[in-house]
Amino acid sequence: MSTAEFESVDVLESEITTPAAAATTELEARNVSVWFGQRKVLEGVNMSFPKNSVTALIGPSGCGKSTFIRTLNRLHELLPGAALAGEILYEGRDIYSRDVDPVHIRLAIGMVFQKPNPFPSMTIRGNVLSGLKLSGMKRSNHDDIVEETLTAAGLWTEVKDRLDRAGGELSGGQQQRLVIARALAVQPHVLLMDEPCSALDPASTLKIEETIRQLSKEVTIIIVTHNMQQAVRVADNTAFFLAAENEPGRVIEQGATTEIFGNPQDERTLDYVNGRFG
Amino acid sequence: MTTQTLDPTALPNLAEQRPQRPWRKRTPRFKLAVVLAVIIPAVVTWFLWQTSTIPTPVLLVAIYLPMQLIASTLASIVTRGRRGIADSIVIVSAIGATVFSLVILLSLIGALIVRGWKALSPSFLLQNNIYISPSTPLEYGGIGHAVLGTALIVFLASLVAVPIGIATAIYITEVRGRAVPYVRFFVQSMSGVPSVVAGLFILTTLIVTGALTQSALAGGLAYAILMLPTVARTAEEVLRLVPDELRTGALALGSTRARTVFRVVLPAARTGIVTAIILGIARIIGETAPLLLAAGNSDQTILNPTGSPVASLPTYIFNNVALPYPDAVTRAWGAALALMIFVAILFTLARVLSRGRLGR
Ligand SMILES: Nc1ncnc2c1ncn2[C@@H]1O[C@H](COP(=O)(O)OP(=O)(O)OP(=O)(O)O)[C@@H](O)[C@H]1O
Ligand SMILES: [Mg+2]
Repeated sequence: MSTAEFESVDVLESEITTPAAAATTELEARNVSVWFGQRKVLEGVNMSFPKNSVTALIGPSGCGKSTFIRTLNRLHELLPGAALAGEILYEGRDIYSRDVDPVHIRLAIGMVFQKPNPFPSMTIRGNVLSGLKLSGMKRSNHDDIVEETLTAAGLWTEVKDRLDRAGGELSGGQQQRLVIARALAVQPHVLLMDEPCSALDPASTLKIEETIRQLSKEVTIIIVTHNMQQAVRVADNTAFFLAAENEPGRVIEQGATTEIFGNPQDERTLDYVNGRFG
Repeated sequence: MTTQTLDPTALPNLAEQRPQRPWRKRTPRFKLAVVLAVIIPAVVTWFLWQTSTIPTPVLLVAIYLPMQLIASTLASIVTRGRRGIADSIVIVSAIGATVFSLVILLSLIGALIVRGWKALSPSFLLQNNIYISPSTPLEYGGIGHAVLGTALIVFLASLVAVPIGIATAIYITEVRGRAVPYVRFFVQSMSGVPSVVAGLFILTTLIVTGALTQSALAGGLAYAILMLPTVARTAEEVLRLVPDELRTGALALGSTRARTVFRVVLPAARTGIVTAIILGIARIIGETAPLLLAAGNSDQTILNPTGSPVASLPTYIFNNVALPYPDAVTRAWGAALALMIFVAILFTLARVLSRGRLGR
């Protein structure tokens, strides 16, 4: 009951502040609910992602943030028992409509995962370029792409002398930056990042955040993070997810990051962003 | 600026939402393309089969297969664009290869059933071969003694080969001792030993020297020689697939290496280990030569693992299949069919039992 109330508060507010946002919306979730088997893990998520914006998804562990972003590029359906209701519109079209090829969606909406997953049989260079090979995408000047993306991911200086070594030889944090570079090489329009910095040191984290800001000039970014400061630093908008005991996760509050952190409307958001629970 | 831009009245009612799997839906165009791609080559081939004199295999390989490939490729171009071509070629080749091997397998099983079915009866499965001559009618005698003999020999072989094989795999992947390259080399060489040599080895080292007589134990030892490398190599491969994080995770909890292996690594690889054992048994269960040399043959039901020669299904088949009596030959086919059925039951059981509640 209470969530419906808060949702309507949000909607009212948004109508006042951003009447024209719909025109630039790149990705939009409408009433998305998600199940694993019979268990509902996410309910009624409505969210829109304006083009070239950064949106942070925050909330306690297990509330469905990873599950939600996996529905955004059709990776959710690969899990056993996965089911879904609602719509996800990318550039105005439902990505789950039956004439949409998931391959196109995943190419346009890239993803960086919680755990670094470089391909062990490929070199560092091969890993960066792997997306081009796997998707059959043609881009010239591979050397430039490698340097550009590795620089953007903040890894270039560390690996430029050993591009032909195996990707698995890098440290965990370096591997994470490698897979970020890999995701950038196919030039996605939207980049989903699931706690990309959870394995990184503060310096690399800052580099990645800089990269995110830089990228957001051309790419729409959705980032899951447990780091409040990070959300404040990088995100234009923030959405707070919460799952009450034995209930599916819901979006409690969403809006401009400054609002969510500076002037949250919901008690629970206030508690969470101030580190008082979760 | 906020992310909310939706008009709540335009949204469907949450309570009416049901879990759906939209990714399973196909467009009518897709369905039509698939149906046409399946039907057209089949109909054309059937028509040619009815009207022309082209031999069936040629028709299937030279006309149906290429036509099906082209039809599927066209269908995927229509539905998915150029990107679909490679997919469709892979899928059609995979289905084609599967059908091909299934046809071969099914015709083998078919032959077994057609020729062996007549022999199969409860008494055939339970009785032994005493007082039965090759010309005795089918109603008399059976393979009960051979079934028990094979079971006994395979059991003894597993008793030896499974622990040693798994221990070898553990040595290679978990202990990682200094002798690993040599051990792997010997295991690999052992897998090349011809089965008759395994029988001869037992014959010359244990039977001729008087340590054993031809018996289930001697046959089991010969089988164990053949089974060991298969179990060891397969177990090694599956243990290798267990991620190192699990090992370090257990060690970081203060586990000893032995406990890590037995409580964490082996359980994680459980289904794979069962596969290793199944492959080991599959490797030996039909071998005839080692048993002719090491286990001998008998018409009686023998349960004593040492002391007297014992019958087994392979030797029973071997002894009957070339006889100039139709009933004896039918018995051989019946025994082969029974062997196949037992193996299928055994492997299914092993699979079901190993599945468990947790794990992969
Ligand atoms: N493959 C799966 N099968 C069944 N249930 C799952 C699966 N993946 C996730 N879940 C369940 O869905 C819920 C949401 O999980 P999810 O991974 O999305 O949480 P999260 O918000 O990303 O948490 P974290 O911050 O810890 O990463 C959890 O209750 C989890 O148990
Ligand atoms: Mg997560």
